[in-house]
Amino acid sequence: MFRQNVFRQELRLNRRSLIVWGIVTVIVIGVYLGFFPYMKDPDLIKALDAYPEAIKSALSLNAAMFGDVNRYHGGLVMLYVLLMLTIYSFMLAGGLVARDSDLGTAEFLYTKPVTRSQLMTAKVSAFLCVMLVLWTLTLAASTVVGLMVAPGEYDIGVQLWIHVAGLLASLAAGGIAFAAAPFINRMQGTTSLGIGLGLGFFMIDAVSKMTKKLDALKYLGIHHYASLGDAAAGKPWVGGMLALLAIFAVGTALGYVGLNRKEFTG
Amino acid sequence: MLAIETSGLTKYYGKARGIIDVDLEVREAEVFGFIGPNGAGKTTTIRSLLSLIRPSRGSAAIFGTPVPSTGGETYRQVGYVPSEVSFYPEMTGAEVLDYAASFFPGGDKAWRRSLAERLSFDPSRPVRSYSHGNRKKLAIIQALLHRPRLLVLDEATSGLDPIIRLELFQLLQELRQDGTTVFFSTHVLEEVERICARVGVIRDGRIIQVSPIDELPGREMRLVTVRLAGGAAPGNVFAGWGRTTEVEGKPGYYQVSVQAPVNQVVSRLAGLDLEYVRIADPTVEDLFLAMYEPGAGSQGGDAHV
Repeated sequence: MFRQNVFRQELRLNRRSLIVWGIVTVIVIGVYLGFFPYMKDPDLIKALDAYPEAIKSALSLNAAMFGDVNRYHGGLVMLYVLLMLTIYSFMLAGGLVARDSDLGTAEFLYTKPVTRSQLMTAKVSAFLCVMLVLWTLTLAASTVVGLMVAPGEYDIGVQLWIHVAGLLASLAAGGIAFAAAPFINRMQGTTSLGIGLGLGFFMIDAVSKMTKKLDALKYLGIHHYASLGDAAAGKPWVGGMLALLAIFAVGTALGYVGLNRKEFTG
Repeated sequence: MLAIETSGLTKYYGKARGIIDVDLEVREAEVFGFIGPNGAGKTTTIRSLLSLIRPSRGSAAIFGTPVPSTGGETYRQVGYVPSEVSFYPEMTGAEVLDYAASFFPGGDKAWRRSLAERLSFDPSRPVRSYSHGNRKKLAIIQALLHRPRLLVLDEATSGLDPIIRLELFQLLQELRQDGTTVFFSTHVLEEVERICARVGVIRDGRIIQVSPIDELPGREMRLVTVRLAGGAAPGNVFAGWGRTTEVEGKPGYYQVSVQAPVNQVVSRLAGLDLEYVRIADPTVEDLFLAMYEPGAGSQGGDAHV
């Protein structure tokens, strides 16, 4: 049985963080996508050409993207949005499970007539809901700004795939956090996990692009599977998205097991 | 039917002792006192009963239903007040109560209001602004909202002022009369003496005594306080009785515990030149201390009722 009361409570507890991260994301999209008309500046392209290839590759920079709003947004702006929202996703999912240990509310919540699996389902549902709202907001903000700065060029279909890939990458991050969260008793721990893994995956993706020798590293991160660049080029990688979905499913399943075995020792 | 039944309930935290072979039987509609010093294993026992921790071995049942390892419907019949009370700080007391009530559809608003009034609790304020005592009141009210058949209280009175404490005791007696079982864990022994019919004593993780409160070993003990003429020291006047100690803050007054019929005590005192004498029944605390004296631990054995 789905516990709507727990679901609503978890949503309520994360309402403020959703608003803050939503505002920050919209600002980032507004500012960076708003820069697009200025990115075609020949001086900027020339300056970019001066960068070493490895650095350009690591940062997903190439001259072609500055002439195409879809590739610019999907390949560059969304890369940083994904970094932000991946960090938030880790923190959110981890916090949903770890909060009760940290605040001491476990003795209130876990002694009510509700199973731990039901609690986990409500928490996972709250996570999915927050992520869906956030990525819908991201798509809306991208579309509004994109149509303003590049009317006629901004392709909603392409952007939809980019955002679906981003959403799935966030879910995968959440799945990893759900798997780890039963072992974490402090919210600070989930924050550290979020920042550490979020930046870590971003760095793994960047480093793997710098040289062929490190190419295999890309499989260790989630950015590779989201493949935002491909989605921006109109060739979304469905297999990668399915892999992200699988990471979410496996991580969440481990989270169920972990929460069911967790001990609240005070 | 038994409200609580544990058999060989044991919990180790790694190699550290939690509780060992705890056997308890708590009857329906009784107020059962569970006493022991800090670290004795009271909270570990309760957490095991409530599935917050998993016992290393042994079993526990509530109203005949084995305690589930992952929570669930069994706890529809249970209200719980933890020793350390924490709620969502951004919520008001009323919102916490609404949330607690949402687990038990068909709540009784009048009962909730009555509880708040009796405990002088203002639910309109944010939880973060509550004192420790007010948080405790909130915990008590949320635990009673659904009129549980079993109420588990872990140091429930800490932080409550004396008037509210008395009101809580009155409330617990009323609940017991209505058929509620109360499992009352505390280290304040006067409280146990006031409201509990039976008591379980836990020490170093083991139950050392379970009995009606009047049948605790040493219940026939007397506490004799005397002042000899001129405040003289009693010397070996009380030889054969317990250890004689001077009453703190009252020079010349001496106290000794003796386990003997009153007439024997009186006849022995009769030959003394006394300025003051008082023969008193021991408090549960005195009994408890007596049980904890070196060598007294095995006195009660692993008694089970």
